[in-house]
Amino acid sequence: MQDFLVRGGRFPDELIAHLPPLKTECTVEKIAINAVMAGAPPESMPLLIAAIEAMADPKFDLAGLNATTGSVVPAVIVNGPVRNKLGIPYQAGCLGGVAGSAAGIGRALRLIMRNVAGQLIDSTSQSVYGTPGRVAGIVFGEWEERSPWAPLAERRGVKGDAVTVYGAMGTANICDVVADSAEGFLEIIAKSMAYPGANGFLTSSAFSETLCAINPVWAEVIARQFPDMRDVQAFLWDKCALPIDWWRPEYRKPIEALGRIKADGRVHLVPTSDDVLVMVAGGLGGLHAAMLHSWGTCLTVTRAISE
Amino acid sequence: MTIVLDPTAGSNADIATPGPDAGPLAGKRVAIRIDMLWRSWDWVSQIWAEELRAEGAEVEFWRSCGRTGEEGRVAAEEYAAVLARADMAIVGLGNCGSCTSWTIADALQAAATGIPTIAVATAHFEALAKNLARRGGRSGLRLHILPYPLDILPRSEVDDIARNQYRSFLRNFGVRSGLAQLSAA
Repeated sequence: MQDFLVRGGRFPDELIAHLPPLKTECTVEKIAINAVMAGAPPESMPLLIAAIEAMADPKFDLAGLNATTGSVVPAVIVNGPVRNKLGIPYQAGCLGGVAGSAAGIGRALRLIMRNVAGQLIDSTSQSVYGTPGRVAGIVFGEWEERSPWAPLAERRGVKGDAVTVYGAMGTANICDVVADSAEGFLEIIAKSMAYPGANGFLTSSAFSETLCAINPVWAEVIARQFPDMRDVQAFLWDKCALPIDWWRPEYRKPIEALGRIKADGRVHLVPTSDDVLVMVAGGLGGLHAAMLHSWGTCLTVTRAISE
Repeated sequence: MTIVLDPTAGSNADIATPGPDAGPLAGKRVAIRIDMLWRSWDWVSQIWAEELRAEGAEVEFWRSCGRTGEEGRVAAEEYAAVLARADMAIVGLGNCGSCTSWTIADALQAAATGIPTIAVATAHFEALAKNLARRGGRSGLRLHILPYPLDILPRSEVDDIARNQYRSFLRNFGVRSGLAQLSAA
């Protein structure tokens, strides 16, 4: 415990956040206790503290996220040199299965949600299915060294060591063996993300985001045509849409009432290209991208990791 | 020596009483909080609003939409203004996890202003609503429970439920009126 508290660089009784649904005090000591139980490394304390601060940001709507019927978990994306220091995975197997500290860190955050925030299935959480990410979290990094673009956190205003929390409805794979161009790769990613049951299409969601991780092999090809990430996001946003006719007729009225049917008859998954989050991660085998759908109105939050 | 540290945290403060009764309706301004999720709650609250108006109350609806970011900031200001104008608040609908969370949060905010407040949820989410109210420091928060499932029912059935439940709703809210005093048929 002492090691964890020292590495945290804060007083044990320092309040980091009030976490819903209990709205109880999450102190440095509570984070440390749960980190010890989870097997997280002591050096991860600053990351854990930053992640908790990010999740407690009102923009993230942790109260709704922790209570929802949805199968959502805060995914934790790590940028900066701290990835290598802590052994956060960002290469092959980064979303699960590779040895390293991610499972311990993720488990610590999940224990904090249970023990401190009070998120319990069938009590304060109504999640119909849950998700494997609720066991040991979703913690991974960006392969910045192989990314042709600036790191995700830097594009969101935080350079260096940073943590980004994103309300993820699990992870899903996108596989393609035909595309050989930037537009080909981006189009299969975008169209795969636009499935009718995605929360972003819900008429009950005021807005949503979406996130995809592109493997370094595809990223290199894409960046030759789209060196500016904003153009990547704009292309993905444009193709990440469905024609209104894909839904049964009774869907038209509520979707139309939200003003979401564009002049060309399409409905976009997310409101703007800024809401399409893109990062580079994954192995050099190529062939696959990963999509992490947003739960809904919890807005992604990025925080610096302070030693 | 082994020291066992507690990984959990708990809250202590609790208000176990339901707060003031709604009392007589005539001349009162009733805020009804609706949302963008549940058409059934729109239908139920429309019928209840007609009944409340028939008893002399004035009804103001407020629809909860996006609650985060800039939209959320504006919503928070709007809701606070609605509560400031209201003599009593009806807050719904708890019919899923996150919407129950927001329903109870908004009901707790209304109750904290001192006005008579009742939250409305469906039966499947009653336990969650009670849990959240208790964990929010007000276990006595008034709740009215509608049947579940509700939102997949046709409008005619939901309208019948709204009419059938109106008197018991009034009693739960502590309304004193001729209709509320009538015993169930």
